[in-house]
This record gives sequence, structure tokens and C-alpha cells, in this order.
Amino acid sequence: MSEHHHILIQQISKGDKQALAALYRAFERPVYKFIVSRLNDPHEAADILHEVFIDIWRVAGSFEGRSQVKTWIFGIAYRKVIDVHRKRARVTVTDEVPETDEVQEAADTSYAIKQEAEHLRYCVGTLSDEHRTAVSLAFYEDMTCAEISEIAGVPEGTIKSRLHHAKKLLMRCLSGRIEGRAVA
Amino acid sequence: MTRTREEIELELAFAVNGTLPDADMAEIEDWLLADDQLRAEHAALAAIRSDMQTEEVNSPGEFGLARLMRDVKRDAVSENTPVAAPPVQKNRSWMWQLAAAVAMVALLGQNLFIGGSDDAGFEMASAEVAADMVASFVPDATEEQIRTLLLDLEVEIIAGPSALGFYDLSVLDGADQSAAMTGLMAATEVIESVENVQN
Repeated sequence: MSEHHHILIQQISKGDKQALAALYRAFERPVYKFIVSRLNDPHEAADILHEVFIDIWRVAGSFEGRSQVKTWIFGIAYRKVIDVHRKRARVTVTDEVPETDEVQEAADTSYAIKQEAEHLRYCVGTLSDEHRTAVSLAFYEDMTCAEISEIAGVPEGTIKSRLHHAKKLLMRCLSGRIEGRAVA
Repeated sequence: MTRTREEIELELAFAVNGTLPDADMAEIEDWLLADDQLRAEHAALAAIRSDMQTEEVNSPGEFGLARLMRDVKRDAVSENTPVAAPPVQKNRSWMWQLAAAVAMVALLGQNLFIGGSDDAGFEMASAEVAADMVASFVPDATEEQIRTLLLDLEVEIIAGPSALGFYDLSVLDGADQSAAMTGLMAATEVIESVENVQN
């Protein structure tokens, strides 16, 4: 499949619109899901997705084949969303994780997720963009640490650390929502 | 178990999404058997992943593709047309002065005249009033510097900027036009040029 994607990029670089359409159909859904998970705005996400594929059309000739097509495309999307956040001057959520009873939180979290998918969407939405990116690529796309590292342009250790923090923040958020519901 | 618990914890997400090599995965499974907390975290992460994987997203789909093809076609057409000449570099001084003029009109309207009970001396910047002086401002001068200077000298902007960045200035009723002119000429950090145009 990866080889097929490389061929599509080569064809796109020669102006083949059908190859662009084939690549779009292959990646449109996961890339959109990744973008919308970081923006929480379907309309803006659709515009960014469009820009990603316009960029692919324009710069396919510069793709050197050293990375996978998948990570190259997600890398373009990653940087475009960062640009959006910069324009919005979005405030990122703190990385600090308060100490809590982690075993209980994890147990609560498992229950919460099974019961309340909307809680997860809410809690993912509270993460910083860096955390959300790591979670999205790891769990929506099942990417390896190396692939996420390449897309985000940071060392693998940083990705592991971000996922670790994101996990703690998610568990705390989910646990808190369940407790709040129980109290109510 | 060759790695520490902390190292294993950092890899749990990749154990959950199944991207770890077999040897690493086997070691993590050993840890999971022995550590309740790691096992609970693993279960939580697996539940999070499962939920995210089943989440429905309405992507643009074929509508997005149609939009893409339309714009790609447009892109190809524009490539075949002669490249337009690069836009003329706008004169920064002029742009700055235009912005300053907008701010100045608003601020002078508020600070110089609105505060008074009578309207003596109030003139719109576009009013047909003969100017006493024509001046241009130093591009780096701040709005506050300009406002302070004009207030001190009892001068108002009555029109501008012109295409070349000049403003028509008028002294307020009862103010000393000669002193204002001297003050403007002396304020070289704010005034780039000033000319007496009073007939």
C-alpha cells in the first residue's frame, strides 16, 4: 500500500488529477479526523483538509520518498493546524498533573469510557494541541512512536512523555466528570 | 524485566495500539501481570483507544473532492496565464500615516473637542477649511507622541493624509500659529516635515 501511495505522489507531481483524487480518497477521512480532533471545528477542519491536498498538488514534486507518504501528509496537516492555533493565539492547557489516586482514577476511567463516550470527547478537547496530536495519532491512526515523532518534528522521548501526560490528564478529567455525575 | 516501571509506563500507549515489537510487548505483558496499577492504566488506555476508533466523523467526502478538483483546475488555468507583475511595494510610511490618521481623527475627536461644552474649534478632518500648515510625521513616531505634541501646540489635523502622506493642520481658535509652527519644527522626533501654507 505504501508503494502504491508513492506512485500516486509521483503521478500527482506530473499533474495527474486522477492520482490526486485517489490519494484524497485514501487519506481524506483519517486526515480530516486528525484535523478536527485538534480544532473542534468541522468547517474549519474541512478548509484545512482542502488546503492540505492543494499543497500536495502543488509540492508533490518535492516529496523525496525518504518518509512514508502517510507521515508526510499528516505532517502537512499538523503544521497547518499549528498555523491556525497561532492565528487564534490559543492558550495551551498546562502540562502539570496534580497528584491523585491513580489506581482509582484508572478504574473509574475504564468505567467512564465504556459508559460515556461524550465524556471522552469533552476531555480530549481540554488537552493542549501537543497532547491532542499525540493521542490522535496514537489512537485514531495507530501510528508508531517513530511516525508520530516524524510528524511532530520532536524526539521519540518527547512523544512518549506527551502521551504519558495526556493519559494522566485524560484520566483525571474523566474521573472528575464521573464523580461530578455521581454527586449530582 | 530489563526496563524500569517508568519506562514501561511511557510505552503503554504503544502497547495498546499494537505498534511495539514482539520482544517489547512480551516484557510489557509480564509487567501487566505483576502490577495492578499498570494493568488498570492499560485497560483505561485500551478503552480510550477503542472509543476513539469507533467515533463517527462526517468528513467532507466527495463534496470535498469536488471542491479540490475545482480548485486544482483553477490552479492549472492560472499557471497557464501570464504571471502577474509582483504587487508594488507599498510605501510603509504612507500606510502608517493612513493608520495614524484614522486613529488621530478618532482620538482628537474624543480628547480635544468632545470634552468641551461648546463646539468651537471642532472641524472634521475632511472639512473644507483652509489649512495653516502641511506636515508629515516621522514613520516611527507613535500615536501617543503625535497626540501629545498636537495637544500641546493646540493644533488639529483637518485633512489627510494625501497620496504623499501629508496632513493639513490648523491651529485652534485663539492659539498662537507662529508658536505652533515653531513647536512643530522643533519636534523632529515626531514631525518629518512641516510647511506654513497660510495665505
